[in-house]
Amino acid sequence: MKREILTLNNVAVRKQKALLLSGIDLAVSENEFVGVIGPNGAGKTTLLNVVAGFEKFSGELHLFGKAETWRRSRRARLCVGYVPQMLHIDPAFPISAFEAVLTGAAGRAGLFRPPAADERREALRLLDMMRVAHLAHRPLGHLSGGERQKVSLARAILQKPDLLLLDEPTANLDIAVQKEVLNLIDEIAGREALAILFVTHDFNLLPARLRRVVMLKNGAKVFDGGIDAALAGETLTRLFDYPLETFERNGKRFVSYD
Amino acid sequence: MIEPIVEALSYPPIQRALLACLLCGASCALLSVFVVLMKMPLIGVSMSHAAFAGAVLGMLLDINPFLSGLILCLLTAAVLGPLSDRSDIAPENLLGILFSFLMGIAFLGMGILTQTKAGALNLMWGSLLTLSLADLAVLAAVTAVLAAFVVLFFKEIRAVLFNRRLAASAGVPERVIYYALLFLTGAVVSANLATVGGLLIFALLVQPGATALQLTYNLKYFFWISAAAGVFACGLGLVFSYIFDIPSGAAVVLTATLLFALAFVFSPKRRLMKGNVLKNDRR
Repeated sequence: MKREILTLNNVAVRKQKALLLSGIDLAVSENEFVGVIGPNGAGKTTLLNVVAGFEKFSGELHLFGKAETWRRSRRARLCVGYVPQMLHIDPAFPISAFEAVLTGAAGRAGLFRPPAADERREALRLLDMMRVAHLAHRPLGHLSGGERQKVSLARAILQKPDLLLLDEPTANLDIAVQKEVLNLIDEIAGREALAILFVTHDFNLLPARLRRVVMLKNGAKVFDGGIDAALAGETLTRLFDYPLETFERNGKRFVSYD
Repeated sequence: MIEPIVEALSYPPIQRALLACLLCGASCALLSVFVVLMKMPLIGVSMSHAAFAGAVLGMLLDINPFLSGLILCLLTAAVLGPLSDRSDIAPENLLGILFSFLMGIAFLGMGILTQTKAGALNLMWGSLLTLSLADLAVLAAVTAVLAAFVVLFFKEIRAVLFNRRLAASAGVPERVIYYALLFLTGAVVSANLATVGGLLIFALLVQPGATALQLTYNLKYFFWISAAAGVFACGLGLVFSYIFDIPSGAAVVLTATLLFALAFVFSPKRRLMKGNVLKNDRR
């Protein structure tokens, strides 16, 4: 039986009287690839922030069977990798792509230890896997949005997490780069032994390996099931309050609207 | 021109003044890396006013002004840390509010101070020539602690400067590093207040870091260039002040600004960035 990595029981987030999330139950097992889909303001990023330990919440959250609050021990943090939406970085900021990837290992290495030779080698291997090894020593702020996102993925994987959180990693990228980043995420899902929570509002841009979808609407979970049932026209129509149809091409399901 | 400077350097008060000024340059310049990269220039003004307000309150209550300045600086750091972590207040607004509040306290203290105001005004401009060995020892100790902090936690500092949230998610004790930084800022500012004065501290908490930002993409070199710019501006400023018989604080600030202007004009980074923009435009 697969070990459970993350469980949420009746999790809610309230901010200045607004209920951002309510009654969320969720269980994610090892190596599971789960998409979190919903319209703007559905609570997707809030859910990811709760799991990452950036947001106060009520209810129960267990990571690897251990109850956690939003304050996490170093050990608990090391298990969860996080890739935000495209990072804005000052072009003059003194950090190279390689050094940015190395920050992913800064916590794991512990205090008073400079990055070890094997961590540096692994950082280069990951940059190579993300097809940006040739940019390793360029200032991070000089890279394009897509290149920065690939560096961000490499940084999160260098941390060696058991659970990877991806918060709209393809937002604000042009279509060809979005596709390239999605393929890399698929590659990560295939090669690295980790569970992934992938947040998006774009149901036409889902990685091929993603098989389970959780849908959020107004802070509540409204669907949790297989991708085929999720991408049925009526489920999406209810979720987005807009008439949507789905069709298949080359074995893949697409969504269209007027 | 050299002879009178060498002769002046044979007097212990001048030696102490030079050493204090160089230590101030080094400590403020190291901090300026954080101030510039975390985009918090107001932290310098807030801390110098906290130290100033504390010192004025110390004069009122007959406590050692350095000690009361240090206490108020550390209190400011203790308030600033948790408050700036709240998502409902922007840190720059918070610093603005704290700064004006502390300025109000300082002026209130000045208003009710019955003794001569000269002591309090000295805190603005400093009094380099009346330094004791104890003042110098405090300054040296604070500078050494700051330098050790940068060397020992360089890896964590880089992660925090890059992105606090990502550093936290990677298991870096980012809150400890950030709060330690605020406390060290408080300690450096209060240690320097009586010697070089609040106005000079503020200038040195921004200019050397801004100078280094023009010159390097490497964080290690960034610290070195910033420290060198701070020490150089202080040393050369004092020499200018002696040669041209002008106030030392003003000479140091103007030298630091000159260094920044030179770095800005000859910045290889600016040229590189311009080149990148042009290349992207052509594509």
